Amino acid sequence: MKRFFAVTLGILTAIGGFVDIGDLVANALVGSRFGMSLAWVVVVGVVGICLFAEMAGRVAAVSGRPVFDLVRERLGPRAGLLNLAASFGINLLTLAAEIGGAALALELATGIDYLLWVPAVGLVAWLVMWRVRFETMERVFGLAGLALIVFLVAFFALGPDYGELGHQLTHNPSDDGAATYWFYAVALLGAAMTPYEVFFFSSGGVEERWTRRDLGVMRANVFVGFPLGGLLSIAIAACAATVFLPRMIEVDTLGQMVLPAGLAFGQIGLALVIFGVFAATFGATLETALSSGYSISQYFGWQWGKYVRPREAARFHATLLVSTIVAVALILTTIDPIKVTEYSLVFSAAALPLTYLPVLMIANDPDYMGDRVNGRLSNTLGTLYMILLMVVAVAAVPLMLATKAGQ
Amino acid sequence: MRRLLLIVPLLLAGCASPAWNDADYGKKAGATAEAAASSVALVRLAVEHEARLTRPYLQTLLTETATALGSVDSQFGAVQPPSEQAVEVRAEITELTSEAAEQVQVLLDEVRLREIAEPEKAAADLAALADRLRAFAERHPS
Amino acid sequence: MTGRVLHAHLHLFDRQVVRADGRLLCKVDDLETEPGEAPYVTAILAGPLALGPRVGGVAGRLMTGTTRLFRPEEDPAPRRIPMALVGEIGSALTVGGDVPEASLERWVREHLIDPLPGSGGADPGLREPRPVRRPEVPARDRLSSLVGRRVVDRDGAPVGQVADVQLTQDGPLLGETTQALRLSGLVVVPRHTGQLFGYERGPGGNSPALVRAVIRRLHRGSRFVSWEQVADPGDPIRLTEPRAALLPLAELFTRGDASASG
Repeated sequence: MKRFFAVTLGILTAIGGFVDIGDLVANALVGSRFGMSLAWVVVVGVVGICLFAEMAGRVAAVSGRPVFDLVRERLGPRAGLLNLAASFGINLLTLAAEIGGAALALELATGIDYLLWVPAVGLVAWLVMWRVRFETMERVFGLAGLALIVFLVAFFALGPDYGELGHQLTHNPSDDGAATYWFYAVALLGAAMTPYEVFFFSSGGVEERWTRRDLGVMRANVFVGFPLGGLLSIAIAACAATVFLPRMIEVDTLGQMVLPAGLAFGQIGLALVIFGVFAATFGATLETALSSGYSISQYFGWQWGKYVRPREAARFHATLLVSTIVAVALILTTIDPIKVTEYSLVFSAAALPLTYLPVLMIANDPDYMGDRVNGRLSNTLGTLYMILLMVVAVAAVPLMLATKAGQ
Repeated sequence: MRRLLLIVPLLLAGCASPAWNDADYGKKAGATAEAAASSVALVRLAVEHEARLTRPYLQTLLTETATALGSVDSQFGAVQPPSEQAVEVRAEITELTSEAAEQVQVLLDEVRLREIAEPEKAAADLAALADRLRAFAERHPS
Repeated sequence: MTGRVLHAHLHLFDRQVVRADGRLLCKVDDLETEPGEAPYVTAILAGPLALGPRVGGVAGRLMTGTTRLFRPEEDPAPRRIPMALVGEIGSALTVGGDVPEASLERWVREHLIDPLPGSGGADPGLREPRPVRRPEVPARDRLSSLVGRRVVDRDGAPVGQVADVQLTQDGPLLGETTQALRLSGLVVVPRHTGQLFGYERGPGGNSPALVRAVIRRLHRGSRFVSWEQVADPGDPIRLTEPRAALLPLAELFTRGDASASG
């Protein structure tokens, strides 16, 4: 049982990356429009995030330095500041969206308008970050998010046409243009590899005081957490491809995307899935809020983390508080939380290389790593992914403009 | 970069931009019908299984759809038709979408009060409406 | 005895500074040097006043500008941490002794964090005494001002610009045991080709071959200038030798300067 609890950091991190509010809806939307034909992107994303999270986790365990330390140290203050501005902005937008998402889940459960829930969600999230121990936090919300496995079970219970879904793996059933298809490919890859995942994962490793001896635990986190996140994300798309695609329904809200679980298991399924959505979005709220604190503190060298008392990391906790307030205010302007994440996803795809290049470099630096430098496999794959990420970074914004964000 | 930032909102606003000619107008009408058909089909799916779903959920889902249909309606009504023929197209599509909005609104009111009175009949009506919307969309491919 | 060889950009700048008990203190935003015949590093400089000029541009000016606005002094200086306090230099720099924390941290703690319930804060009446600000040290040079400077050879022909500064730990004694880091050489690149990332300096273990090849290619023609070859460390830096006599970086490495990472 203790071993099982040891991987909750990976699970919580992956939930924030793969099934946060934007991705929940994006996965369902992709399933309802393109069937299973984009599932390969999720697989590519899982391999990529496993690769870089493993490197970042290894650096954190061996040298105690989290990712944004590396970004500034290798890229220098200027490019580091550029990355900080981009990541912090994206984090803040995503944080706002996640708070909105958790409030939307509460609306689905109670029928009370989500805007009324927003301040409460923000307050509780801040209280958790203020008072709850890191380990407790990651266990509770990582495990609760696992309720989303109901999508996987629902998929089998819905009696899908396996032949048709298998055919879709290689044939795009949609008559939309290639640009739209590739726009969603970029969005899904960006979702799988969002920078805040490695910020959170490596900082979480430092919070848990990983050392060289914990490399095994770290790897277990990576290789259990992220594939699980990817699996959930594919299950959501598969449910949508089973329920919505044949009826020509395009899903674009949270309320619509949870319907397959309700069709499969009735009220219990619905209750479980709404609970899972709430846990996942609330977990993602914590992940993005903490990441904004981590990234800014690590750039400027401030004391950060929940492993010291709040008053010993005053600037870090002030950042968390202010970010949460700004995010709550942002979502109270009634902007659509799901739209927000769709755009921030594409912009974060454009910022990916600036985060992953320093990780790749430092994972090779014997100064930091001693004998734990990258092996040949990590380096070959890492280089391939750097090329892929640069292509994605260049293509992201033009694709968004050309397809009017996938419309 | 600054110019790019200016372009983004312009393009995003593309869906509500004015139509220049009949073909363009037809395309917009077709896309609107497609979106409305998708919403109606979804409500139908939920109504068919309403006994197995919770009331707050149904209420939220229907409110969402009613709002979406309403906004489709008003958005399209704001596009100036470029010709006589386009005026007819508009009359047809707005009739269909308002009917959809109305049906969903009736269901929503029923759910708010107690429960859907005749789920089978409502589902059949919605199915018929979705078919008409799809037929319209096929005549005006986007 | 030859001292440890470090490169300012690669091994010191932008690294985390940590207290002996593991708490995080600041970053190495800049280094202060004592000028003279054999210049050496005297202190770590930290805070926005040190970082701002390195960032440059609007963001940098904003950083220094806001800080100046809130500091009472006429001409405020960045925080100094004397090199004598620095112990280990690794993936972070460890400092011992009593180093005062940043004033922003104090301010935020006293005015925002401590008043919140559950902060684990002290009784608001029992504030810790304000640390006494050490008397200002006469302004010395900043190491970062060397980086990016143009370099010309004996005859005034351009050689390139400084990309990094080599430091050797054989300078005068600081404190009781540590020797100062003496400026022992410059890495000069022919063009403005961005960061060096350490890849041009030889086999630092295995590395992604493609990344290494790209960066090496960008920095081909880089040279090493030892401090003895510098005639005048002004702007531009004038050398005592013609360009052709300078050592290419790659060659320096094959001559066995592998202790750089040691």
